[in-house]
Amino acid sequence: MAPQLGIVLVFFFWPALQAIEQAFYVEDAFGLSREFAGLANFEAVLSDATYYQALGTTLVFSLAVALGAMSIALLLAVMADRVIRGARVYRTLLVWPYAVAPAVAGVLWLFLFDPTLGLISSLLGNVGIDWDHKLNGAQALALVIMASVWKQMSYNFVFFLAALQALPKSLLEAAAIDRAGPWRRFWTIIFPLLSPTSFFLLVMNSVYAFFETFGTIDTVTSGGPGGATTTLVYKVYQDGFVGQDMGSSAAQSVLLMALVGGLTWFQFRYVERKVQY
Amino acid sequence: MATLRLNGIHKRYPNGITALHGIDLSVADGELIVVVGPSGCGKSTLLRTVAGLESISDGELMINEQRVNALEPAERDIAMVFQNYALYPHMSVFDNMAYALKNRGTPKDEIRRRVTDTARLLDLAELLDRRPRHLSGGQRQRVAMGRAIVREPQVFLFDEPLSNLDAKLRVQMRLEIRRLQKRLGITSVYVTHDQVEAMTLADRLVVMNGGHVEQCGTPMMLYAQPATRFVASFLGSPAMNFLPVTAHRDGVVLPNGVEVALPDMLSEGRAATLGIRPEHLVEATSMADAAAVLDVTVEMLEPLGADTLAYTRLPGLEEWLVVRLDGAHAAREGQRLSLAFAVAHCHVFDSQGARVPLAEPETQACQ
Amino acid sequence: MQYRRPGLDRLSHALLALCCLLFLLPVWLAFTASTHTLGALYSQTASLWFGEAGWDNYRHLLSGSFGGLGTDVLTLLINSTIMALGIAIGKIAISVLAAYAIVFFRFPFRRLCFWLIFITLMLPVEVRILPTFEVVADLGLLDSYAGLILPLIASATATFLMRQFFLTVPPELVEAARIDGAGPWRFLRDILLPLSKTNLAALFVIMFLYGWNQYLWPLLITNDADYLTIVVSLKRLLTSTDGLVPWQNVTTTAVLAMLPPVAVILLMQRYFVKGLVDSEK
Repeated sequence: MAPQLGIVLVFFFWPALQAIEQAFYVEDAFGLSREFAGLANFEAVLSDATYYQALGTTLVFSLAVALGAMSIALLLAVMADRVIRGARVYRTLLVWPYAVAPAVAGVLWLFLFDPTLGLISSLLGNVGIDWDHKLNGAQALALVIMASVWKQMSYNFVFFLAALQALPKSLLEAAAIDRAGPWRRFWTIIFPLLSPTSFFLLVMNSVYAFFETFGTIDTVTSGGPGGATTTLVYKVYQDGFVGQDMGSSAAQSVLLMALVGGLTWFQFRYVERKVQY
Repeated sequence: MATLRLNGIHKRYPNGITALHGIDLSVADGELIVVVGPSGCGKSTLLRTVAGLESISDGELMINEQRVNALEPAERDIAMVFQNYALYPHMSVFDNMAYALKNRGTPKDEIRRRVTDTARLLDLAELLDRRPRHLSGGQRQRVAMGRAIVREPQVFLFDEPLSNLDAKLRVQMRLEIRRLQKRLGITSVYVTHDQVEAMTLADRLVVMNGGHVEQCGTPMMLYAQPATRFVASFLGSPAMNFLPVTAHRDGVVLPNGVEVALPDMLSEGRAATLGIRPEHLVEATSMADAAAVLDVTVEMLEPLGADTLAYTRLPGLEEWLVVRLDGAHAAREGQRLSLAFAVAHCHVFDSQGARVPLAEPETQACQ
Repeated sequence: MQYRRPGLDRLSHALLALCCLLFLLPVWLAFTASTHTLGALYSQTASLWFGEAGWDNYRHLLSGSFGGLGTDVLTLLINSTIMALGIAIGKIAISVLAAYAIVFFRFPFRRLCFWLIFITLMLPVEVRILPTFEVVADLGLLDSYAGLILPLIASATATFLMRQFFLTVPPELVEAARIDGAGPWRFLRDILLPLSKTNLAALFVIMFLYGWNQYLWPLLITNDADYLTIVVSLKRLLTSTDGLVPWQNVTTTAVLAMLPPVAVILLMQRYFVKGLVDSEK
């Protein structure tokens, strides 16, 4: 048994440990050529107004993406589950955006909204809305959100459809016998039964919005204009690799890790138990 | 062929639980031993220690008088039939049966010969190319048997092999196992919780409880002379009736004052239990030298066809007294009956549950 | 059982079809734009139909370097393929071994190992880019396939998926194999891997997509255009020319960047869905 264990240790635990060690000794790793800064980096970050702006942007962005992608997916999944015939066809037609890279999704939507030749921006222009996400921060954020929702919806759709199809039929039949109409059945039976899936998706969508949308943001807006689409992860990248302020970037990494770790802990300790039906 | 001997086998888990408290057992060549007991009694653990799937904490396990404690399961030359069959789902019936032989490096043509021979023996010849999921429950069972037989092992181990089958198939496979085991003459240990299976299959029966062997011997001996109250209650369906009694100078006294004349065996005043099997209670009119006569009221009837079970109430007793009547008996609910039983059919157990001998030969030991 | 509500059914179909079309719209526009010339694109609002350039843009991009990118799109596609395959296969190999050890072997500190893997779940590569970048730079793996692939392999998602599946393998199967004389390696090869075929396929799809769609990490560690991936190249294309965005090139590249992963997901949809849904439990 020893040889396998050795392989597993060398190929998995060692890099994993390395990553964790690196993650926790971040300041040392970058402090080698500098003075040890103590908590100064953290103080600098936490007293920086742009950091709080990024935090706010992240929250708005994550919430919008999660809710948008989930509600559209749920609506479509309920309809696809309902029509029985064709559910698989619709799944095929709706699943593929998941395969599109966030950066590519960004490019596609950027093209739709290009101020000079974009289809939608010109349509908006016809109804009197001037679209220029390069100048208008709110429009830039909206664009990034739309591209992210477009890509993430398919992921949620797959889960919701699977969850709906796994619901015990007898339960719905019992509800039908109890004279609950489709609308009522959805809110009183189906929706509560979907709560574990919904909660799981909420977590996954937040993670997606936090991290994976980096590519979308970078291609579409590069965090601008004026930091309107700079999320926490984007700021780590921008300060560290573009701005070369390694100390600040490292401190942000640690804060981000603490935030994500805290959320995960919260999820496992507390929320997951409440969502059981 | 092989003999199997267990000397004081203990099994203790790291969490401090002891599953086996020193099991002694010896199995003769070609003998079929059935280990029976309620769930959690340690019978499966016993089987798994013999198989080598669980380590032995203390004691010795001998196959053909060779100590095999430290051997891997594959080196012990045993075969096991699992409760859920544990067939490899992605392999054909042929490959399932051939796998162990392949792992041992048996030549290809010999594997083919042995598998086809075994398949013929078990009526599986047509199914060799099928996957397990395309087989019925009974067929899977036979493949599991075939996988064990094809290796020509020293010892066969059966872990509740019939409990996943429906009642009819179970009876059929029970006979099949008995026939094959006798024909192949392979030393076998068979674990089950089903007492009917245990009684019908066993050359010798081992009744376990709480990690101990309660009694072992031929099925009929255990039925006729259970060594403990536990064995008495475990074997036989419906179970033996137990009446709380007090020892008396000429026998015992029931709670309602009825005296039962028994040979002198307990000091006066001691509490004991009197056990009588349902089929040993007969109508008083048909028995001349009854040990006692009980007047009961029939509360419920369960007609089974050949017999009718009567659940009767004896004044002063909390439990029902179950009586096996002839199927043609015209009993009605609410009817009063006078029941009698013979001294020879009385089982007396002391307050520890051990049998109080009524001048009979002692039961034989497991060794 | 459902209520018979033909009206509701028809409405559902209509809405679903509409949504399918809407979801397709951005891709369709990009596809048609990729068949226009730059001049044609900028002379009108984006056209819904194919242009006169035909496959010229594709031919042009696949064959020669352009627009300050310093390489051709074919190289980018090959790089992406190598990275995606490397990540998918590497992750599967490592996670199968780790999950095998965790589920089937009792060894000291098993729980500790489990938690160590578990923690990595919480820290996606985006969070630990700085330390990982340092390590990779120190190892001299910048601008190399190993640098692209290795740091992304050590994540726990795949391990958990495999563990989940291994836990459903009945213990009797393991015991039967032991009695049949199969050692640990043989059990893995003869029994466990064949049984995991579907799950391995599912994992492959998910990990291939993950690898192909990586953005931040390849962006950081590749300066040399020879190791650039196609997804990362898009940003450079968008900004590389002064003035007008060369949309005909961008959309062509975007379509090419989408094709392999979309093909994979559509061809292996069954496994993909199963893999995704299983990972929830």
